[in-house]
Amino acid sequence: MNLKIDKRVVDGVAIMSCHGRIMFGEEATVLRDSLKDALKTTPRLVLNLSDVTYIDSGGLGTLVGVYSSARAAGADIKLTGLGQRLRDVLQITKLATVFQVFDTEQEALAALGSGAA
Amino acid sequence: MAFQPITGPVSSPGSGIFPTLVFVQGNDQRTINLDHTPFTVGRKVDKDLVIADPRVSRDHALITSEDGQFCVVDQGSKHGTFVNGERVQRKTLERNDRVEFGVRDVSYVIFHPHHASSNTAREFLSQISGIQISTDATDLEKLTLFLEAARKLNTTGVLDEILVTLLDATLKLTRAERGYVFMRDEEGKLRLAAGRNSKDEPLLDDTTISHSILDEALKSNSEFVITDTSQSLDLAGRHSIVAYDLRTVICIPLRKPQVQATREAQAPATENSAEVMGALYVDSRFASRDISSVSNDILRAIATEAASLIENARLVQAEEASRRYQQELSIAASIQQRLMAVTIPEVPFATLKGRNLSCKEIGGDFFDAVNTDEGLAVVLADVSGKGVSAALLASTLQGMIYSQLTAGMPLIEIVTAANRFFTHKHIGEKYATLIIARIRRDGELEYVNCGHVPPLLVCNHEVMRPPHGNLPVGLLADATYESDHVSLHAGDRLILVTDGVTEAENARGDFFEDSRLETVAAKSSSLEDIFTAVANFCGGTPLSDDCTVVELVYSG
Repeated sequence: MNLKIDKRVVDGVAIMSCHGRIMFGEEATVLRDSLKDALKTTPRLVLNLSDVTYIDSGGLGTLVGVYSSARAAGADIKLTGLGQRLRDVLQITKLATVFQVFDTEQEALAALGSGAA
Repeated sequence: MAFQPITGPVSSPGSGIFPTLVFVQGNDQRTINLDHTPFTVGRKVDKDLVIADPRVSRDHALITSEDGQFCVVDQGSKHGTFVNGERVQRKTLERNDRVEFGVRDVSYVIFHPHHASSNTAREFLSQISGIQISTDATDLEKLTLFLEAARKLNTTGVLDEILVTLLDATLKLTRAERGYVFMRDEEGKLRLAAGRNSKDEPLLDDTTISHSILDEALKSNSEFVITDTSQSLDLAGRHSIVAYDLRTVICIPLRKPQVQATREAQAPATENSAEVMGALYVDSRFASRDISSVSNDILRAIATEAASLIENARLVQAEEASRRYQQELSIAASIQQRLMAVTIPEVPFATLKGRNLSCKEIGGDFFDAVNTDEGLAVVLADVSGKGVSAALLASTLQGMIYSQLTAGMPLIEIVTAANRFFTHKHIGEKYATLIIARIRRDGELEYVNCGHVPPLLVCNHEVMRPPHGNLPVGLLADATYESDHVSLHAGDRLILVTDGVTEAENARGDFFEDSRLETVAAKSSSLEDIFTAVANFCGGTPLSDDCTVVELVYSG
């Protein structure tokens, strides 16, 4: 297991910080389950990926899967802390247009209308 | 039925011409064909049967034959010769006679055993292990021997047969009327696995047994529960006992045998917390026999032995299932490999080369080439994930694309259809990045990139990376796709790679990256150079993903 996820709640927004690698298999499963759990308590979520060192194709699939099903269920997920590699991957796969990406956590929170920003 | 000797110096087994002697010494046993007379018995090494025991005289006895009859003759031994417990000087032998030479406990000879008349359990035992159960063995000894033998049978046995045999043995030992084995299913519910009555008939209905006692036994920590209803006053809620006139019920929880590998497992505290696999249940009615006096030793032996018997049988079954599964899987793998094998079409205006370097695991990369009226088409795809699931999707996708290319469909329609198929089927977070490129005789190249590593276009040692791209196939149902067009000139090359190439890692964790790929593509003129560069970069670090490189050279 190469992924650790911390969760804190700021003004009703769940902020999930990922540390490590998001890979097909165990890590992707942990990510999916944590996000689904968090979305049970709040529809507003910020996913901070600044400490993610690697994301493989399977991990990306999970990210898109959770993201689109959450959006379909009316939840709002913002991404922040994307490293250059992940930006490249999102660029290549044209997924940059699918996700809502912000440079900082504060900007992501502000976009969610959180008073903490 | 002819006796089949299993062990020992055997000649012409089962010929029926010579009588046999089964010589039992402690736990060992061998079968001797009485093929000559006089047959000598004694402590001396030149005897036909040598018994190395001080109580046996050097020249102890002979077996002689007269008029088709066999006779044991004592040779003046110190401790005597016995037939069926009676000391004899000379005695004609009958089948199944037990002959003892001086020694009265550990060794004896059975003369020409008559197996056809033995009971099923003994016959079964003799057949599979050659163990002869002496008629005066205690019930517990019989059970232990029986279970020992049945365990050997396990290697070829099937769980159901073992359960039935176990029930028959238990019914014989306990003299109960009916017996059932219940096993837990995947959800933990007890399911009737086998039922027998004392007439060896199958019982398929468990509605008349006491389920309350069964539940109680499973919850309790004891090795077995005996309920004698004639002593029990509180029968409220025990419908079956009242309705079916049950007198005695014995219920034995079958606990998974503990693996004696760790100290914890041997600790008494964990002994009773072992997982309950099921239960063995026997009962008798008021009108019939009383089974409440069955020896506790027997019940305890049944409890432990039956559980390990079933567990062994289950392991054998699981092993067999896994072996079959492995076999299926390897067949599937070879089919997959054949599907993935590419015959590169020969066209006058272009040459195509492709090479794949597989990592250990089955990957989801595939490469295909089809020559059609619309031009030479090349497909390179990478299904997310690894293993069988990725391979399965890769094959499906390959088939879809192949058939649509041969049908001359526009590239955009092909990927749109594939995306619709994948998203419609809800395969769940599985998708593919792919490129389909199709080059016409006149050099006009059309390609559609769905989330794949951008192709390298090499013109005069100059590398271009067209920015065109779409979403991968299978992620979003409403994705739309566009294609790009490039006009190639003679000598121009199109290089397609999977991300296994750009993400090949060295020992420091650096990736091969696009920049290195572009450098080598500009300098080199062959596919091999790219693989060499990747190998040099990685050093000894093994590939974590498949590397596939496809090169299309337009010759004009």
